[in-house]
Amino acid sequence: MKLSTSMTLNRITDEVWEIPASEKAGMLVPARIYATEQILSTMDSGVFEQVTNVACLPGIRRYALCMPDGHWGYGFPIGGVAAFDTLDGVISPGGVGYDINCGMRLIRTDLTLADVRPRLEQLMTELFRRVPAGVGSKGFVRLDRRKFEEIMRKGARWCIDQGYGWHEDLSRIEEQGCIPGADPSKVSDRAVERGISQLGTLGSGNHYLEVQVASNDRIFDPQTAAALGITGHDQIVVMVHCGSRGFGHQVASDYLKVFEKAMRRYGIAVKDQQLACAPFRSPEGQDYFAGMNCAANSAFANRQVITHQVREAFSAVFGRPAESLGMNVVYDVAHNIAKVERYAEGELVVHRKGATRAFGPGRPELSDRYREVGQPVICGGSMETGSYLLVGTDQAMRDTFGSTMHGSGRTMSRAQAKRSVRGEQLKQQMAQRGIIVKAVSMSGLAEEAGFAYKNIADVVETVERAGITKKVAELRPIGNIKG
Amino acid sequence: MTHRFTFLEDVALADTAFQASGDFPSELILAATQAVIETMVNPDTVSPRWHRTIEHQAPDLPSLLFDWLSDIVYLKDAHGVVFHEATAVVTEDRPHGGWNARGHLTGETVDPSRHELRADVKAVTKHLYEVRRDDDHWIARVVLDI
Repeated sequence: MKLSTSMTLNRITDEVWEIPASEKAGMLVPARIYATEQILSTMDSGVFEQVTNVACLPGIRRYALCMPDGHWGYGFPIGGVAAFDTLDGVISPGGVGYDINCGMRLIRTDLTLADVRPRLEQLMTELFRRVPAGVGSKGFVRLDRRKFEEIMRKGARWCIDQGYGWHEDLSRIEEQGCIPGADPSKVSDRAVERGISQLGTLGSGNHYLEVQVASNDRIFDPQTAAALGITGHDQIVVMVHCGSRGFGHQVASDYLKVFEKAMRRYGIAVKDQQLACAPFRSPEGQDYFAGMNCAANSAFANRQVITHQVREAFSAVFGRPAESLGMNVVYDVAHNIAKVERYAEGELVVHRKGATRAFGPGRPELSDRYREVGQPVICGGSMETGSYLLVGTDQAMRDTFGSTMHGSGRTMSRAQAKRSVRGEQLKQQMAQRGIIVKAVSMSGLAEEAGFAYKNIADVVETVERAGITKKVAELRPIGNIKG
Repeated sequence: MTHRFTFLEDVALADTAFQASGDFPSELILAATQAVIETMVNPDTVSPRWHRTIEHQAPDLPSLLFDWLSDIVYLKDAHGVVFHEATAVVTEDRPHGGWNARGHLTGETVDPSRHELRADVKAVTKHLYEVRRDDDHWIARVVLDI
């Protein structure tokens, strides 16, 4: 097997590889990578370098992990999971990423492909009009600082109080859409100024809103699918991928600076400046945690307002209230976040960066609705291929701090993708395959071409075989909105 | 006066990296500014209707450039604008140590119907961040989170 690293990799199982702690000076625990041989051979060298750098951070427990969609990131690899003791461990903005609580939301409907296909162009136009995307876009919700601070504290709950959603939506969101411990006094004026007008916007890059189809032949576990509201028969669903927008980006940037200085004070040395960190219990660590939770809650609110707009768009096009179209949220899950969770080692601050929480059945953190089947996990593929709905497992609780993959993972640079196809050309090709695309930026569209990503089916198969998530359904795109 | 930039491939798979250079620090900062502007929009499609003066002081040139570029990303979101053009003058504060920069940005409120929009920059990062003097040139390598 030809790899992009010369590091020692020991095969633990066909899907789990371990880099021993002796491989790099300073490693406190081994690094474990979830991948088949084929996926491992496509991983860039940054994955191996970065996951072993993470294994050197103070207070890390058990393993530094990387999921099969892993690729190079800032400090932590994308797909990285690491848990630190809350007493002697650190918290690192690089372990969360700039887009705090970037995440996925899936909304079901009672509509079928036969209902939607004749009106798909109209529906995509309506969605594109109601959900702003791209550089500098502003949302329709006008906020002052006081209201924005309420959003930081209440997250999706604020939106429900304002009429942007249904009360039952909350039981279908990780943490019920509101993480406690958010403190608006810990975020800068600049962060507020960047985010205050962006509620309900998608952003750009790999963020999207997608109309998808759940076909019978792509449902792998009908019983669990039914429990999640996925009934098949060419059922229409809507997937949303976005995060905390400029607000979260600024919170991350601000605290990276704070932590650079704090590290000197606490005598912490890291192998990469982007791994800047501080003891979790330090004033700086607690301030970041409180600020990060403000951004995480604003991201839940962002996806909630987008959900409201999606319901309004469907209602306008199909002439019926969203309630009668069965437009319930299936789930909303973060994939860039740090959270305090309890495991065999005790209370840990689990960092997931481009990785999804995947709690198994019976966990008290899950709402009654999903406690029996396990937590839904939403993994977005490229806009040309498909996405997956999965559920968490007990094995994930034991092996990966209740974590799994988040998407397919890039294999090609943005520049190379743009050289390979023009945005207009890609849009036409996708239209010929029955996928209608509305994009603010044609160059941005080309950067997101399907061939720039790993095959998501291979990635999903890996986590299924590793036992850390269970496949429920594959969702095929028919309409996509991009910034 | 010569300032220039090139986008770097395979430095940041999911993001954008560039190298900027200039004969003087002012040219370096202008080249890097232009790279950030062009990452977000085709500046030829933007009119100079919005104006802003930027000023920064920093103990060293790398910090000055980092703060300056971060300001452009902040202004994009806080004012909902994309940019047309920038000017910059960098001076070294010899008696006290440190560097100063003062310049001007023009642009206008985002209008997707007229502006050729590109990527929304989330942040200027410290990954592989470097500012160095090479013979008679100043060179910076910057990775932007997209």
